[in-house]
Amino acid sequence: MDDPQTARLVRTVLRCYPARWRRRHGDEAADLAALLIRDGTPAGSIAWSYLAGAAREWLTPSPGGRLSAVACALLAAACLLGVPAGLVASARPARAESTSQARPHAHCRPAPAEPFPAVIPTAGRPQVSIWEAGHGRSC
Amino acid sequence: MGRRHGRAGQDVLRRAGEASVLILISLAAGPKHGYALIQDVKELAGVELGPGTLYGALDRLERLGLIEPLPADDRRHPYRITAPGAEALRVHLDSMERVTAAGRRRLQLGGV
Repeated sequence: MDDPQTARLVRTVLRCYPARWRRRHGDEAADLAALLIRDGTPAGSIAWSYLAGAAREWLTPSPGGRLSAVACALLAAACLLGVPAGLVASARPARAESTSQARPHAHCRPAPAEPFPAVIPTAGRPQVSIWEAGHGRSC
Repeated sequence: MGRRHGRAGQDVLRRAGEASVLILISLAAGPKHGYALIQDVKELAGVELGPGTLYGALDRLERLGLIEPLPADDRRHPYRITAPGAEALRVHLDSMERVTAAGRRRLQLGGV
């Protein structure tokens, strides 16, 4: 990775993985990112892929079959944040109905979600990208 | 070696995801490390595996005992397909062939 910013981005994202993963794949993953960037793959796509991989790694049960303590903490935090958010979301329509002056503002509407590019165009045949693989588990 | 091996004839790759199947197909031709796998899969299937997806699939396949790491070459770890991995791939490809044939027959019958 010639660009120091790119190198820092990849190193930062790789730090999101659990220590056991970094011990095993960390050096190779950094080298692989450098090779892919050299081949023309956008650094952002690589960072995103590693970020998604890190999230999956934390949330996947370890080989021993136990959820790690960090994954449990993340789940607990998600539950704690999710419940108040759900309460706010359910309260909002009731408040909106009670005031007749609520008007929608076009500039306040969220823009349509921009999907992450699923296809990387390359010369010749069409290319498809898989940035997320199913785990074959149903939650 | 991994924890789980499918029973004979059982398609253990059915829910493993496309990336895992493509990696096994690539490794069926010989051991490869991560970068070589990405290049080979791109060439054989037109699919560009993200590096995060690649390592996730490699770890999963290793846990299943379908691939195994070879001694590191510099900083790179090559992987090779195991005998149960080759058998699992064979079973999965047979299953895919049956489904493909049935799909083609139905397209003909339906006149679509």
